[in-house]
Amino acid sequence: MNSLDRRRFLTRAVLGTATTVVTASALGAVSPEVAIAEPAFEVEPGGIDPNFAEGRITGIKGALLMVSGSDGVLHQIQLTSGTSVWKLRPATIDAAAVGDGLYARGVRLPDGTLAADAVWLNIVNLQVNITSIGKDVLHLDHNGNLIVGHVVAGTTATVYNGTPAVTDLSLLQVGKHVQVLGAWRPDTNEVDLATVFAAA
Amino acid sequence: MMQWLAGAQPVLVGGVLAWAGAIKVFGRSAELAARRSALRRLVGTGRVFAVYRAVGGVELAVATLLVLPPAHPAKGIAALVLAVGMVGYLGYARFAAPESSCGCLGEKHTPVRTRSFARAGVLVLASGTAMFAMDWWPVPFLDRPLATVGLLAAEAALVVVLSPELDGVWLVPLRRLRLRISHPLAGRPFEIPLESTVQQLHRSAAYRAVADQLRSDLLDSWDEGEWRMLTYSTGPATAVFAVPRLKYDPAQVKVVLVDEEVLV
Amino acid sequence: MSPDDVVPDAPATGETSWFCCGSAWGPCGATGHGACGTCNSGSRQCAWPNTSDACFSITRPDRCGEDLLRRTCGHTFFVRNLCRTTEIAVTIADCGPQTDLWCGEQSCCSGSCASNRILDLTPSAFSAIGNLSSGIIPMAVHS
Repeated sequence: MNSLDRRRFLTRAVLGTATTVVTASALGAVSPEVAIAEPAFEVEPGGIDPNFAEGRITGIKGALLMVSGSDGVLHQIQLTSGTSVWKLRPATIDAAAVGDGLYARGVRLPDGTLAADAVWLNIVNLQVNITSIGKDVLHLDHNGNLIVGHVVAGTTATVYNGTPAVTDLSLLQVGKHVQVLGAWRPDTNEVDLATVFAAA
Repeated sequence: MMQWLAGAQPVLVGGVLAWAGAIKVFGRSAELAARRSALRRLVGTGRVFAVYRAVGGVELAVATLLVLPPAHPAKGIAALVLAVGMVGYLGYARFAAPESSCGCLGEKHTPVRTRSFARAGVLVLASGTAMFAMDWWPVPFLDRPLATVGLLAAEAALVVVLSPELDGVWLVPLRRLRLRISHPLAGRPFEIPLESTVQQLHRSAAYRAVADQLRSDLLDSWDEGEWRMLTYSTGPATAVFAVPRLKYDPAQVKVVLVDEEVLV
Repeated sequence: MSPDDVVPDAPATGETSWFCCGSAWGPCGATGHGACGTCNSGSRQCAWPNTSDACFSITRPDRCGEDLLRRTCGHTFFVRNLCRTTEIAVTIADCGPQTDLWCGEQSCCSGSCASNRILDLTPSAFSAIGNLSSGIIPMAVHS
């Protein structure tokens, strides 16, 4: 089923016009036992979470990501068709590139590979102050460091004091403290903005 | 000309040193500023406040010397030594404690960056010039009042522009004024962002009913008429949510779990 | 929220966001290991607004009407997303969030709402009970 047909099928399923719901084997290239495996470890509070990985992508082989953690540990992260990929917005594994920063959550397999349920590429969540606002750009102060936040048409949204997100950023003010969730551009001080949270 | 220039510098250097010294000696947040500064890395937490106050005392003393008669090269030299010492401290702070505050002119957290070095450079130049003053500073004022005031105003403005501690006084209001005249982010096309749909989803009973089963973040989303579809994985199935796209009505959110055959 | 100082183990509700620590990739490179010196993005840890007098003087949860007990580095909390039943255990590894900058902000899940940022989680902890792309979620926390 190609992706357009798949969407049509799922749309009909949820909007109630599908006549059958197909029963199933698991999705993707990973065997069914893995797809429904439960976490095999109890995680100590304060301890390293074995079902989580962070680091930078050093290699990509098909649906397998090689990641070098900031603590020196090397991870292999297996993606399936049930793995969500975030890179500023929902994406697919094709969006992954060597050098991307990564967080991944999933299930650690006996061979040490992490079977990923969710992968977030270059995601950052920063508490900053707005120092100036330009066309499609926010200049942000992050603990004394300058970060350039790029407003992305069709994506960047603002949440003002917990109210529903809007694409109108014109209420943002210089000097205001905000939280920015976005995608870091590797090896730069620039971030593409997904959501800007502004307090009252 | 050189004499006039040199004669006016003690006012600028004395003024800056008096300001810096007063903040360190009399400031209400002096202890906080000292602890946040790179000085703490240099002398240790136990001694930092005493050293910080002592530096302030020296700055006040040199400032007083500069403005009191008579003019003497030694005063300019004293100021120059302080200014060069400041450049050295900034260099140390930049490399040994880059995230610490300068602590130079207040408790506002201002890591050492290019502007700090530029400001110190201006003070080095001004102090070096002051060494050549033969006349006490009121003399250039009386000789060329307007030009002297203009020169000092320009130099003071330069010091202000190079002081991140003072951005809140002039730069932020200026930027806010510019936004009031014309906000660069106004007038964007109206769209319903994905984040808004996800927020509505989270507030729905349909989401609550299956939230414990969801294992992934958002897999995919697409629009179909008045609905926006969001899909998540539960492991063996895909959860498909239909969320009203153009209105806020979480009660209308629908969900189905689809056990998918890999269809050809 | 039931005051912690009346019934210490009763859950408090509020909001939690997430933060990186441990000198990792991106803007996290300059962050260090937090106020307790032990914080890492890959560990089940959190930040708490009242770990010390110095911490409290920065976060000031009292300005939002939050009466949070002093809990120091290494203390264990149990946290649950208001939308889910899964509860995880985390230990305090940093001071935060800056509660008083967000007074009155509210997050909701299907009729259960919570106000004020009273906790911050590492990416490992937050992703165990929510999605990192959410940025902020309503939660319940107890000792």
